[in-house]
Amino acid sequence: MVSRRLFLAGMAGALAAPSIARASGPMTAAIYPGTWDEAYREVVAPLLRQRHNVNVAFEPLFAVDQVAKVRAARGVAPFDCFVLDPGPAAAARQAGLFEPIDPKLITNAGKLPDGMLIADSATVNVQVVGICYNPKKFPEPPKSWADLFRSPYVERLGLTGFQTTFGTVSLIEMAKVFGGSITNVEPIFAKLREVLPKVAAVSTPAALPGLFQQGQIDIMYTNTNNAATLKARGVDIAFVAPSEGAITFATTLHIVKGAENKANAHRYIDVALSAEAQSKLQLSPFNMIPVNKDVQLTPNLDIKSLDELSKMVTHDWNVINPRRAAWIDRFNREITK
Amino acid sequence: MRAAAVDWRLAAPLGIVYLALFAAPLLLLLGISLHADQDLQQWGLDNWTKFWSDAFYRGVVWDTLRLGVAAVLATSLFAWPLAVFFCNASPRTQKILIFIILLPLLTSVVIRTFAWIVILAREGLVNQVVLSLGLSATPLRLLQTETGLILALMQIEMPLMLLPLISVMRGLDPNLLDASRALGAGMWRSFFRVILPLSLPGWIAGATLVFASACTAFISQSVIGGARLVYLPSLIWQQAMVVYDWPFAAVCSVTLLLTVLAGIMMLNWLGRYARTD
Repeated sequence: MVSRRLFLAGMAGALAAPSIARASGPMTAAIYPGTWDEAYREVVAPLLRQRHNVNVAFEPLFAVDQVAKVRAARGVAPFDCFVLDPGPAAAARQAGLFEPIDPKLITNAGKLPDGMLIADSATVNVQVVGICYNPKKFPEPPKSWADLFRSPYVERLGLTGFQTTFGTVSLIEMAKVFGGSITNVEPIFAKLREVLPKVAAVSTPAALPGLFQQGQIDIMYTNTNNAATLKARGVDIAFVAPSEGAITFATTLHIVKGAENKANAHRYIDVALSAEAQSKLQLSPFNMIPVNKDVQLTPNLDIKSLDELSKMVTHDWNVINPRRAAWIDRFNREITK
Repeated sequence: MRAAAVDWRLAAPLGIVYLALFAAPLLLLLGISLHADQDLQQWGLDNWTKFWSDAFYRGVVWDTLRLGVAAVLATSLFAWPLAVFFCNASPRTQKILIFIILLPLLTSVVIRTFAWIVILAREGLVNQVVLSLGLSATPLRLLQTETGLILALMQIEMPLMLLPLISVMRGLDPNLLDASRALGAGMWRSFFRVILPLSLPGWIAGATLVFASACTAFISQSVIGGARLVYLPSLIWQQAMVVYDWPFAAVCSVTLLLTVLAGIMMLNWLGRYARTD
């Protein structure tokens, strides 16, 4: 009996965890939990109310969870707008989960670099991925992806696998350095096997910033947002683009197939793309690299101008997606103790 | 008979809710696991054979159950002495102790888990002590090891073991212990011959909770254990949410459910055996 009662008490505790607020306004947008959630509540939601009298309710979900939820709903859109990374976006497009975006309803369309607003997707910010290191421990930063696997860097390296967008593209770039390609990541697996006993940590992506802050690792590959956030908290961290070039990919907004509030979803996307919203979203603690050409970039972003983006490395996720499951599975097997 | 009929009707509302919200999704899960393809078009045992014919996945099951057993052993080791101490303490001390025991339950498991990063990290509390005492020249590797994970789980799951144990031990007749001492048994003998058998029902309740909870502790396993220790919960998450292989994720889920259930049933069986003995 005791166990039952205790169990129930425990369950009550678990259920008291923050519950997700359901839509109260005339539209719902999925949003990444954490920084994105905070940023969009603070910057985009008030602007949307002010300009269009639209109340947006946010549903915090990671990209893969958003896609899983819309798939599971089988035709009944659980929210109006996605925010996605390229991998999940390509998968969602293949599964036919997007509604077309009408460019006539996006007043900021002309302010975006070419190709950022397409039939079913609006790039709302870009991420830049490279190497982060602790400048106090390493006055001489690692220069290339290959350096991560050399002493003294490798002993302080935090590795993460193919679960995230930034992890996947970073490992592909490392594979290229050792003779591989986007379809052949064999060389990076060989390298991982070799350095595994030496590396400081192999971690889930979400735990990496914490490990860096605690000094468990001093080098990791991640995006500039993470670097800026940690720096703002007083962590000794610096971002460096590897000599092979930093990686960039877009974070995109999409309207969910069969969305209830299509007109409001267009307004939401338009406001998110506006210079006013974007110039606030680039500031600390959000640190999102803007795409609106009218926005003056701030120094915390580790890039000087949007023109730099065109020189960075990009990846075709239609090539990556079909292979990714096998890579994830292989990473599991090979790194398991 | 009449009483039983009334009972049945009283339990019906909750029973129906359970049936709809608990049993039905479980059947659905089982149904999904019996599909051969990711689009759930074809039936087949393919994913079950894929899982069980692969030494890697069998290893994951084994590691998950082993982690549960290790957490039970670790909590037991510390819970019994603490429970004995608790039962002999003054009411005032007991109040303070119960507060300390319950404290971990009052913070979220995420926060407790992240606190363990601070304690176990390379520049964390434990390593600072070890280095400053000169016990080791280089920082010990505690984070991302099974030892570190068991250590953290021990603290996180401790209340689940301690509370049932204390409630049973509080009901023990103190005269029994006095009698044991008077008859010449030492401390250890009294513990093993008197306290341990009598407190076994409490331990079984606690062990059940700790075992089930440690086997399924997704957050602690992934944050403290790191990516090199693969357990069933993280495998389920990965297959369902990253790879989108729902049938395979369902196979992992049903496997976790059944193996943990088997462990619990074994503990239950032990309880019945202990009582008739």
